[in-house]
Amino acid sequence: MNRQEIREVILEIIQDIDEDSSIEQLKDDQPLRDQLDLDSMDFLDIVMELRKRYKLQIPEADYPELASLASCVNYLEPRLQDV
Amino acid sequence: MPHYDQVIIGAGLSGLAAGIRLARFGSKVLILEKHGVIGGLNSYYTRQGRLLETGLHAMTNYAAPGLKHAPLNRLLRQLKISRKEISFCEQFRSTILFSGGQSLGFTNDPACLADEVARLYPGEAENFKNLVDLVRNHDPFKPRPWSSAREKLREFLGDQRLIDMLLWPVMIYGNSNEHDMDFDQFVIMFSALYLEGMFRPAGTIRDFLQLLLDHFRAAGGELRLRAPVARFGIEGARVTTVVLENGEEISAGQVISTAGYPATLGFMGQGKPAISAPYEGRMSFVEIINVLPASVRRELQHGGETIVFFNFDEPFDYRCPDEAVNVNCGVICFPDNFHDLPPREEMQIRVTHPANYRLWRGFSPEEYSEQKRFWVERSAAVVAETIGNYRRNILYQDVFTPVTVERYTGKVHGAIYGSPAKIRDGRTPLANLFVAGTDQGYLGIVGAMLSGVTMVNQHIFSESQE
Repeated sequence: MNRQEIREVILEIIQDIDEDSSIEQLKDDQPLRDQLDLDSMDFLDIVMELRKRYKLQIPEADYPELASLASCVNYLEPRLQDV
Repeated sequence: MPHYDQVIIGAGLSGLAAGIRLARFGSKVLILEKHGVIGGLNSYYTRQGRLLETGLHAMTNYAAPGLKHAPLNRLLRQLKISRKEISFCEQFRSTILFSGGQSLGFTNDPACLADEVARLYPGEAENFKNLVDLVRNHDPFKPRPWSSAREKLREFLGDQRLIDMLLWPVMIYGNSNEHDMDFDQFVIMFSALYLEGMFRPAGTIRDFLQLLLDHFRAAGGELRLRAPVARFGIEGARVTTVVLENGEEISAGQVISTAGYPATLGFMGQGKPAISAPYEGRMSFVEIINVLPASVRRELQHGGETIVFFNFDEPFDYRCPDEAVNVNCGVICFPDNFHDLPPREEMQIRVTHPANYRLWRGFSPEEYSEQKRFWVERSAAVVAETIGNYRRNILYQDVFTPVTVERYTGKVHGAIYGSPAKIRDGRTPLANLFVAGTDQGYLGIVGAMLSGVTMVNQHIFSESQE
């Protein structure tokens, strides 16, 4: 997947977690947590969804890499390049 | 031998929630339920064509839709259940009633209780506000040793009666300790009851359970009814198989048990660690369900309220009674008194009192029936003094004792709130066995479900990453 596709997957997962979230207004470089008002239980869902879809194991130590939309894409790009 | 990634023991609310959470992300999950119906402590049965609910009086932790961090909304997101799938019916109003006619009312608006405290104890209004601030800012899930809620309350409030009145609903809706309770548990329950409030789904508990089961099955989960567990097969410090009473063996990667801590350790057989007394709860209850024509409501005092928490004992003490039942304190619940429920021709009055399990257990079959009649009569006399004479209108009545509860729920000694010693982190002596539900320290229906979800998040989803 390319960067744009990865970004869309993340947005889709977020929308799926919280149907009320307004993903159109998300700023790529700002922390998702502040913009979406979600908590750590919700963020676990992003990790679990990526695992379910792409068999991708994200160790807990790497969770900070998923802080913003831009950092998610940076982190996932090499890991999802063959998907 | 069939193999599952996870086997969950018990199709109560914590087991179903754990099951949905696991199945959602592709685990192969099996829930084993020993009874023919699901729900555990919050279930139902039918008599004379009427569906009667067990357990459920009201759900606590009401939250409006936009409050993303509220436990109810977090729970629904974790289970991927849309709020649109449930109609939320909020309580009318409830009352805490003590001897001498002293009462405090509360609704789902926390300002109501604050006003009531100020009305009854003008000098305590500011203190109560400070207590509420403390509760709001206290994280009850941070691991800490047991600390006395009473002691903490005395730091804030001067009047012992006010402390007792505030404690009574919190205690009877979920405290397994006698006399006092853990401050963290107090904070959880105080928020759930007084700050968030009570509601129920518009349908019956059967509808609610069916909704959960539908989600579980849609995600690929499997349920087996009438499948009581006999023991675990153990290798080293791990469960390898769950063995049913009929001898059937099921291989399991991990096991989540909602059967209660003592019963769960019991499945370990010979090798089980000795259970010390504190794991056996002493708080159990009798419940009397009365069905009446709905028209009776207008004639009753408190007939327009949802729940009356009454105590006429002086001094108030939350404890296992010396007699079979303590009729001087209890809960009168009008389960039809929630906003937006469809109108019905019949109404219920449910009365709950603390009871003594050992005495009920010891009665012979004849004594048992006789004692039931005797205590129902005693209870009705006290309740009639509070709400008026409802007895002449009873269409149907049923009574649960602690022995009934033990038989139908597997809760040792009928202790619905489980062991006073809580297993907060859900860990057991076996590395891949976890407990969820009653003995894990969360309370109420929303709490039970969050317990299932949290155990999955903490132990299953994070463990497989190690």
